[in-house]
Amino acid sequence: MPAALGAVVLLLVVLGLVTFAVYVHRKLLGWMQGRHGPTHTGPYGLLQTIADTVKLLQKEDVIPAQVDRPLFRLAPIIAFAPSFVVLAVIPFAPGLTFADVGVGLLFYLAVASVTTLGVIAGGWAANNKWSLIGALRSAAQMVSYEVPLALSALAVVLMAGSLNLNAIVEAQARSVWFVIPQALGFVIFLIAALAELNRTPFDLTEAESELVAGYLTEYSGVRFAFFMLGEYVYLFAMGALIATLYFGGWLPPHPALAFVPGIVWFLIKALFFAVLPFWLQATFPRARVDQLMGLAWKGLIPLAMVNLVLTAALKTWL
Amino acid sequence: MATLRTEELVLNVGPQHPSTHGVFRLIVTLDGETIVDARPVIGYLHRGTEKLAEDLTYTQIIPYTDRMDYLSAMIGNYALVHAVETLMGLEIPERAEYLRVIAMELNRIASHLVWFGTYLLDLGAITPFLYAFREREKILQLFAEISGARLTYSYMRIGGVKWDVPDEGWLGRVERFVDDFERALEEFHTLVTGNEIVQARLKGIGRIDRETAIAYGLTGVNLRSTGVAYDVRKAKPYSIYDRFEFEVPVRTEGDLWARYLLRLEEMEQSRRIVKQAVRQFPSGGEIMARMPKLIRPPAGEVYTSVESPRGELGVYIVSEGKPQPYRIHFRRPSFVNLQILPRLLIGENVANMIAILGSIDIVLGEVDA
Amino acid sequence: MATGLLKGLGVTFQEMFRPKVTTKYPDEPYVFPNRLRGIQKLYVEKCIVCHQCANICPTQCITIKEKPKTDPAQKKKELAVFDINFEICILCDLCTEVCPTEAIVMTSNVELAETSRADLHKDLPWLEANNTNVREVNKP
Repeated sequence: MPAALGAVVLLLVVLGLVTFAVYVHRKLLGWMQGRHGPTHTGPYGLLQTIADTVKLLQKEDVIPAQVDRPLFRLAPIIAFAPSFVVLAVIPFAPGLTFADVGVGLLFYLAVASVTTLGVIAGGWAANNKWSLIGALRSAAQMVSYEVPLALSALAVVLMAGSLNLNAIVEAQARSVWFVIPQALGFVIFLIAALAELNRTPFDLTEAESELVAGYLTEYSGVRFAFFMLGEYVYLFAMGALIATLYFGGWLPPHPALAFVPGIVWFLIKALFFAVLPFWLQATFPRARVDQLMGLAWKGLIPLAMVNLVLTAALKTWL
Repeated sequence: MATLRTEELVLNVGPQHPSTHGVFRLIVTLDGETIVDARPVIGYLHRGTEKLAEDLTYTQIIPYTDRMDYLSAMIGNYALVHAVETLMGLEIPERAEYLRVIAMELNRIASHLVWFGTYLLDLGAITPFLYAFREREKILQLFAEISGARLTYSYMRIGGVKWDVPDEGWLGRVERFVDDFERALEEFHTLVTGNEIVQARLKGIGRIDRETAIAYGLTGVNLRSTGVAYDVRKAKPYSIYDRFEFEVPVRTEGDLWARYLLRLEEMEQSRRIVKQAVRQFPSGGEIMARMPKLIRPPAGEVYTSVESPRGELGVYIVSEGKPQPYRIHFRRPSFVNLQILPRLLIGENVANMIAILGSIDIVLGEVDA
Repeated sequence: MATGLLKGLGVTFQEMFRPKVTTKYPDEPYVFPNRLRGIQKLYVEKCIVCHQCANICPTQCITIKEKPKTDPAQKKKELAVFDINFEICILCDLCTEVCPTEAIVMTSNVELAETSRADLHKDLPWLEANNTNVREVNKP
């Protein structure tokens, strides 16, 4: 019973964070572009996301005539559900993990890739050429970028000697944060994570100026909201994963600051990496699809391999 | 071995698409993401300007020129009044000429700013668009003060301009803008030109060579990016452009990157012209030549052209000595430049398609007239 | 290698602390320049019914009719109908430019949205009563 209650609390907390994330996203983009961002709904526009959500919920549920109906309905759920599932293995604070799985990192990577299925299914089911191209791009992109992502995470696993995310954080408590020995791995992971999240400069699957809206073209209302929700939850989940793997999770930057609860440190780190993509989005244009593949296969994967070998050598001889 | 059956995909880009800059439609045949055939469809914004103009007096045509290339209405206005003035052999007061040049060059900057912003939007960068519009807003404000409109100025008249400067400070504000604008250009270069992703996306793509460019009759930046230094302002000086020092930037690569850099450089040159024009501005004088109540150019034909932000904007008038033209034809650079598009697109992918279309810099109001 | 990317990040970061350019319209009224071309104002008593404005209009959106003279000795013509069809008026300013008596002038009132097409047909009483943002130079 407490586990179920915990899950509900988690869901609510994450939903709250996502609401906040959308607001921060729009505010930050606004400020970086000389605008104010949302100002009209609630004090400082704080209720903007709620207004948007309500608007999406009360929209007519449009299913175009030519779509594959079961798949069209299923796709948003496939895309959205895993985003919450992965949060279960994230260690928020000492002892605050909803499922302390032995192979936590592997679980995260495996479940996260299910979302791609939802995207492909949605793009296919919509029976729209833009959706299809978007979905295929997404498939190619995910396949390419999961490799460097996993390879660079693997180096962290080597360092910690465990796939369990709690153990990885504890290993960092004994030595230093892994971002220092794994600086190269961190950069690779960050780039690959951006591609996984479909954020600028790798937002090719919904590249507005090219593909109208990619796989989302035919989606509206609640279904669209589900895709968006999934996307923002992933943003937070990925931030949490980066914080866990490379920045010591709940650990304070210095033992003298240990009086601040671990969850605060964790949230600061995770939210920083969840917000970072917004800044990149405000600055960078979109890469081209062939350049993206080239970067993954010719750049990141060899580098990640080198990083892995170096880590192994470091681990063996030091 | 059984082969997988593959099919080509016919994709209908537009007329409602975020990156066709209006109501342009492109039917492309894709093999994977590679374009094997492209067919542009135009005419969604056709208003029959040339036919309508046959029933209008010359003054009445001025508001119609606003609506052709609506991003550089000042230059559209000027192209028409310049043709009529040439036909009538009018002498334009100096003060009016200076006001016209200031307005046209500011408009060139404004037009290139829209191009810059929307082009980066095509490439997926959202912020440069807002920075560009922030600067453009200052120009529009100056235009609203002098001409009373933000987009469709109808500022020029046959024989001069409609309004004098609105107040003593207007020229000072123009000068302040062009001084500040230097900093904005630097910011664009830091934010965009130096960006490695932008360079990777633009360099070597959409190449046009010199002969092809001339064969297709390209003008403006599209021509100058291939190494031909043809700018109407220098080649056939009109108005008082011979009084200013400015350069015609030319590059030889002929690719998207060359066109991108040239447009930014042209803004800098326009900035220089405006600055000189403000410095040399005559302290007094008329803004309208002596004109008859009803404008009735002598019978005959005339072709004049001016350099619009998009290329050579020509006006051809056949007059029978009546208040209305017998026939008027506009050589619209957007329309002419667009013709090379299908040739450039073959073999490119969808992302490059948008980048190439954007780099030609068309305004649909002008393509369709 | 990636210095250009980093410099770009610097630009967007600095922009956060610069003043915002968005205006507060419509919460705060936007001050339009005096010359801004908005809907016309008509001074009926000045009009000499010369039809020049209707003739110059590039879109033929002005309709003018003269009042039949009640007194045969009366010289001055009087307006019966003066309609501007704002569905097609392009606010080009030519009508006010040709008017010999400045009976029709432009205001800088551009907030012209209506909920019905019929409301866009502005008639003589409306144009006469229109006193919003009349240009300083045109005030009687």
